[in-house]
Amino acid sequence: MSATTRTTTTTKGLGVSLGATLSTITALRICLAFTKDVSTYLQYEQLLSSPLTSYTRLQEGLFLFNHDVDPYSGGLFYHSPLYLSIFSTIIPNSRFIASLLWTFADALGAWALVQIWRARQGVSSPTSRDSLVAVSYLLNPYTLLPSLALSTSSLENTLTLLAIMLASQRLHSPSLLALALLITLNPSSILLLAPVLLLLAHPTGPKSNLASPSTGSVLTTPLLKKTVLPLFAEFFAYIAVLVGASALTSGGWSWVGQNVFAGVLLPDLTPNTGLWWYFFTEMFDHFRPFFLMVFTMHLLIYIAPICVKFQHDPLFATLLLQGILGTFKAYPTLADPGLFIAMVSVFPEIYSHLRHPIVTTLLHIHAALLLPLFNHLWLAHGAGNANFFYASTLVFACANGAGVLDCLWAGLRVGIEKLSTGEKASEDVEEEWTVVQE
Amino acid sequence: MESPPTKQTTAQATLVPPPPPPARENPVKRFLGRLKASPATKIRRRKAMNAKIHKNLGWLKLLLFIVGYVWMLVIPYPDLGRKTYSDENALQPAQVHTSYNWGDVRKADKYLEGLESLVAANATSERIATHLSDEFAKLGLLTATQAYNLSTTNDLSSGVNTYAILRSPRISGAEAILVGASWLSRTGEGDGTLNLRGVSTVLSIASFLRRSSHWAKDIIFVVSDGYMDGMQAFLTTYHGQTQSNIQAQPLRHSSGVIWTAMAIDYPAHSFSHLGVFHEALNGRLPNADLLHSFQLISRYAGGVPVIMYDHLDWREHPALRKQFDWVTPKWLPRSIRDRKELKTFAYHARNVWRHWGYQARGKASGIHGLMRQYRIDAFTMFALPAVGPHGFHAIGKTIESTLRTMNNLLERLHASVFFYTLTAPDRFIKIGNYLPSAVIVSVAMMFTGLGFWVDAGWERILVPGGKALAIGGKALAIGETAFRGEDRWKQRSRPVLAVLMIMALTHALGGALYTLCTTAVFLQNIPILLPLISLLIFGVPIILSSFIAPSASSQISKTLQALNLSFASTIISITTVLNFSLAALLCALLGLPLALGSSAAPTRSSPSSSGYPLKYPVYTLYALLGYGFLTLGLLYSPNLVVQAIQGGVRDWEAFGVWFVPLFCGVYVPLVVQAGVVVLLA
Amino acid sequence: MKSLCFTALILSLITPAWTTTPTEQFYEELSFRNLKDGRVATRFSFKTVLNGSVPRDPSTLGQEDQSQHYRLFPLAMGQILREYALTELHLTLNAGNWDYDRWGYLDEPSVGTGAELWTWMADGAPSSIDERWEGTRNALGGLFCSSLGGLNDKRTTSPESVFRPEGDLPDWGKPHRLRHASLASENVCTENLTPFIKLLPCKALSGIATLLNPHRLFDADWHGLGVHVVWNEHTGVEISLVIQAVLNPFRFSQEKTIEWSFNSLFKKQVERQCPIASASTLSVSFPAGESWSLEPQGSKSEGGVSLYDLAQAQYPFDLQAKASTDLSTSVHEDFKPPLRVQRALNGPSQAYGRLSVSFSNTGAAPVQALYLETMPWLVQFYLHTLTASANGTENGELLSHIQYTPAVPHGKPATVQLEVHVPAYTEVLLTMEVAKSFLRYTDHPPDAQRGWDLPPAVVIPFLVEQNSSSNAISLRKLPRMYTNSLLVDLATPDFSMPYNVIIFTCSLIAFLFGSVFNMLTRNFVVVSLKDDSETEKP
Repeated sequence: MSATTRTTTTTKGLGVSLGATLSTITALRICLAFTKDVSTYLQYEQLLSSPLTSYTRLQEGLFLFNHDVDPYSGGLFYHSPLYLSIFSTIIPNSRFIASLLWTFADALGAWALVQIWRARQGVSSPTSRDSLVAVSYLLNPYTLLPSLALSTSSLENTLTLLAIMLASQRLHSPSLLALALLITLNPSSILLLAPVLLLLAHPTGPKSNLASPSTGSVLTTPLLKKTVLPLFAEFFAYIAVLVGASALTSGGWSWVGQNVFAGVLLPDLTPNTGLWWYFFTEMFDHFRPFFLMVFTMHLLIYIAPICVKFQHDPLFATLLLQGILGTFKAYPTLADPGLFIAMVSVFPEIYSHLRHPIVTTLLHIHAALLLPLFNHLWLAHGAGNANFFYASTLVFACANGAGVLDCLWAGLRVGIEKLSTGEKASEDVEEEWTVVQE
Repeated sequence: MESPPTKQTTAQATLVPPPPPPARENPVKRFLGRLKASPATKIRRRKAMNAKIHKNLGWLKLLLFIVGYVWMLVIPYPDLGRKTYSDENALQPAQVHTSYNWGDVRKADKYLEGLESLVAANATSERIATHLSDEFAKLGLLTATQAYNLSTTNDLSSGVNTYAILRSPRISGAEAILVGASWLSRTGEGDGTLNLRGVSTVLSIASFLRRSSHWAKDIIFVVSDGYMDGMQAFLTTYHGQTQSNIQAQPLRHSSGVIWTAMAIDYPAHSFSHLGVFHEALNGRLPNADLLHSFQLISRYAGGVPVIMYDHLDWREHPALRKQFDWVTPKWLPRSIRDRKELKTFAYHARNVWRHWGYQARGKASGIHGLMRQYRIDAFTMFALPAVGPHGFHAIGKTIESTLRTMNNLLERLHASVFFYTLTAPDRFIKIGNYLPSAVIVSVAMMFTGLGFWVDAGWERILVPGGKALAIGGKALAIGETAFRGEDRWKQRSRPVLAVLMIMALTHALGGALYTLCTTAVFLQNIPILLPLISLLIFGVPIILSSFIAPSASSQISKTLQALNLSFASTIISITTVLNFSLAALLCALLGLPLALGSSAAPTRSSPSSSGYPLKYPVYTLYALLGYGFLTLGLLYSPNLVVQAIQGGVRDWEAFGVWFVPLFCGVYVPLVVQAGVVVLLA
Repeated sequence: MKSLCFTALILSLITPAWTTTPTEQFYEELSFRNLKDGRVATRFSFKTVLNGSVPRDPSTLGQEDQSQHYRLFPLAMGQILREYALTELHLTLNAGNWDYDRWGYLDEPSVGTGAELWTWMADGAPSSIDERWEGTRNALGGLFCSSLGGLNDKRTTSPESVFRPEGDLPDWGKPHRLRHASLASENVCTENLTPFIKLLPCKALSGIATLLNPHRLFDADWHGLGVHVVWNEHTGVEISLVIQAVLNPFRFSQEKTIEWSFNSLFKKQVERQCPIASASTLSVSFPAGESWSLEPQGSKSEGGVSLYDLAQAQYPFDLQAKASTDLSTSVHEDFKPPLRVQRALNGPSQAYGRLSVSFSNTGAAPVQALYLETMPWLVQFYLHTLTASANGTENGELLSHIQYTPAVPHGKPATVQLEVHVPAYTEVLLTMEVAKSFLRYTDHPPDAQRGWDLPPAVVIPFLVEQNSSSNAISLRKLPRMYTNSLLVDLATPDFSMPYNVIIFTCSLIAFLFGSVFNMLTRNFVVVSLKDDSETEKP
């Protein structure tokens, strides 16, 4: 991660215009879609699509749905009914169309990410880093592969980016709508609700206040009352509408247990890149509910502190919470940490303060190679047992956690620098002053 | 939380005065003083420590390299391993009374005569297959033949398999054992020696097993045509896989899940030992319990001594001493050469070397090797040709008893280890005793890489002495070396993006190399094209590197070396688990060479200094290490190289052996990167 | 003893039950079929008819049942039948894989591997159908010393169109319901035979039951026990106890002549006739075109079948059968089945696989097959990947009437029921992708690495007959066939790991959580490093 991003401070972008980058990469993917159906090779890869995001399961659900069998009556389908309604009505259900759709979704996501970057810089005109930001999302293997495997997590990533983009462009209702849609599709994204609301409410919006923490610390009761509450009300209205729509499409409430609570009750123990599956495979039955509760609480517990600490820069809070999601959510795929890594490219100001970037990078390389190898060693070759893959998920969790810690530290550290050094160049000061946490 | 913490932060981020010097007189007090030292002191200590580590990093790396390599060398040392043991209690090896008798031997002889007459009349594969299938049918087994053809880029092989299924009484037929024999013996990797006795053994065993009712699993007899191809065709069809370059008839009869299998290879008239071949494709191995059981059974049920491969133990056959001279050279004094440990070491070393030969190249040492990919634990028993004393009777009893052991299994073999190194039929090394060697080397490489990474991040700038002195006197940021006099270090950012571009380019080059290697044109005229391609790979980096501005080059070189080493070390440390032999090979080829990289260059050359003279010779060395050796090999013995390349490509296309893609896509690029490092240094 | 009988007689005379006690008949029948490959398929059938009796009306389950008096009918079974008001019951315990190619059909179709139990019972009882089903399971399990309790809700289905009632169903104005379950891993042995023999009126003391020698019976290539209770409107409740075996007379003998006798097959002979049997018959049949010599001769023989009436036979009775022709050992498809059905679960991965079923029709008439797949939730279907291909070319028209109920995790199994049209001389291949479940470590059996046995699928072939005069197409239903059972590997966790996993995962989470909150809460200070380093020197 940080190896690539660190460079971007010096290299002034790729010197290629955003449009060019987007179009070339999209064109390449379209050619790929025409020549060969990659998704069939990747459809069962457990790293790329979890039970909640697998395209195969989505198709199974659609098939049952179209043949008047309740897809939620079985134990295979956990997608939201909205997917059913979309794919059974608007979008024809074929792999080729799907691969095109996923391609465009990625392009859209990259574009949204660039918009976020521009909004943060407060410019509307193209900047030199645009294409770099786009590439960090489009060619990032963590986001590219799941999209090739047609995992719906890519679509959810795009929605996330859209919601954040609209929020940083101060378009209240659209962003809230996008967010509501995202959360109905993937309930665990509820973590992003608070920071996005803050982002909408914040006076300086997405502008970077990391360097000056004192400015724009906005978390005051009037603001909460005046701005956030109505926003939340609007959001809630959207949610209500969407839930109603879901109930209508699926003709019942059976989906609630299968879709909404899947991330909490962990009905399917299929391995993924996260920490939950093996923990609850090995868990004693009488402790299961307790630890399910603990793990869910643990996810939610990060929201308040991060939002409070970074109230001066809600966009950064969003980044951190996305990182937390990618590390700790119940059914992660590579796409979740991938989104976090891609979003880091929007915050160049922190690179010089990342704590141990090289360590994090190496952890990521190791994990990225170990995960697929050990997954196959266990499930296909039958030589290594489950512990091998479990160990590699631990390494991966370390890598993601280290990434979050790096950013967290850097985000806090930036605030101190100015104060300590004043107008002097930081390198000279390094020698006589250093900044620590006491 | 109405007053956010950040406010405090800014408020409290004030200057802390330097701590008072702690009390000197009392060591205890001083110690306590250190414990509650101010942050400043702690940081200073930490920095000093880091500085120390970085200063001695060189020694540390050297130590690690030495330990790693030495460890690899002593792997065959007897005390490193232990006797094999059986983890799965159900196996009960050699616990049954065998009843394969001379009547069955007579049958085997009859079958042999039949086959020999067919061979004498040089009958076609179909003819032989139908003959075999008729023989099976006479025994009342379900049987059929399967014609296949397997086409690779520059080779097409076809043949007819014969298989028969003994439906064991009273069982659901959900589990099965496979007894196989390839038409061609594994002698010389299928050089044409016929495995007639192996096939007739299978037939006689079939006729024998039919009489007993205590089999808990179906038994599948397969006589596969060719050496490996037939079995590959059979297995893919049996498991419902489709391999694009294999056309095979569907199987008329089918049985359950195959857990264990054995391949019988009995080429010559009679044999003295039974050799175990166990390496499967891509360096995978069968469960150790199976091999342990077999060597027990062969000793105690069959009465036949077991050896590794076709290696006779020269402690029992002094005549073979010369085969071991490469381990214990003649110039060693006899007193040393005749030491028992050394003899054992030499014997083990030969086995381990052979094992690494198969595993590192990912080659299977027999048809058993094709089965592991379907989670079948299998091995080949090779009847070592000799003038006696053993024949059908011994091998029959051994097979019967082994089948009984396999029949006892209630679960898949899972208890014992899958990762091990056999040094002798009854001795093996646990993964914990050999894996660390490669890991240590990779750690050393990682350290080297990190060292370069740090160096790449700092540049020396000359500053007027006054200011330097005013500041000077201390080692600073992490990784900073001891700080001398008037010049000081300034942090600078590393050109990672450019470096990543270079790495991507080299790997693309490797990809191109791979696509070239798998074309028919290349495979048919290797002697002409190989040098050309090598030249291309040699030239491209020189040309490209000339475009890089000399000012940036030295730093790019450092960063490239850092990432290159880190990447290589990652590759190695991950490969250790999957295929230790390959990892060891990579350690030997990449470890030191990559680390030494630009050390010939003046270290930390300031931008002004222009390269170093040895550049091109060293680069050429890298070229030789990476791909040039093949061209050199052409000069030495063309056939060897040509066969090696063609064989490698065929293994990849027919059986999915990863060696060639890895070589082209990973190994060559890594070495080329090291070369680029030198070019830019 | 005698007095006791007397009092019993008196009692029975004065109780009104006597008048209602229906008359009972007992028929025993033994049949041998010589197969081409030298094996002998034998079938013992003991049928007891309870004339004029009717099954218990479930609505009366609440109140006291009428007292039961049987002379021949097995009381243990009678009690179970009335306790749970079962109209029809079929229980089979089979060991081995029935080879339709060589052994063809018996008149007893239930040859699926393992245990299979299905019952028809009417609704309307105070207790629910499923409660009664569970009770029946456990009662029968206890009676026959087999673990039928394993046929629990995770295995139970009700495919009513496949398992039609074989008798009549009384009309109580309440619908009848089917419960079916099968357990492939259950196999049959002596401890099941002993209680089985206890149910026979003559036990194993006389009649053909004398031949039931466990040592030989359970050494057969295939053997099975069956209990079938049906209600016939005209006769009444019938229970038939069936034992089938495919014996291999010359597994040990080397010579090629086929020759067997009761003695060589069972190491027994029929000592005396069962006195209370209304009829005891023996039939021996031969493959077409083989001439056999029998000693003693049959009372009458037609069409390669010779019949004996054991009532007239003189005892001890032993039968010598000898074929004049030598054993022709090449594999003959003597009884060409209408369909060859092969089922396999492919794919090396433990996460997913492909189920493939091939129907090959070697006959000249097209066959319409009703296919029923019952799958525990361990293996879950991707129904949208279901494809049918005839001789390699994909063709969706071959499939029709697909009914599917998805499996519920840790709950009921999935059932797929469909009709396959198999044209003449073609092989139809069904393939479907499946997902293999990942279980909690407590869900795994002790021998987790063995895998799980999946029950055999059921096929009912219908011969499509088109009579030349009028082009009316008629379907002739053939007895149902069973496919082979399957073994599926499920990925196993490391069973020694629970504590380690809890410790590792929790400490990792705790570490990350701790450092995040550490950073969030602690304050920054700027520290001066500029003082002299004397303090460092000791």
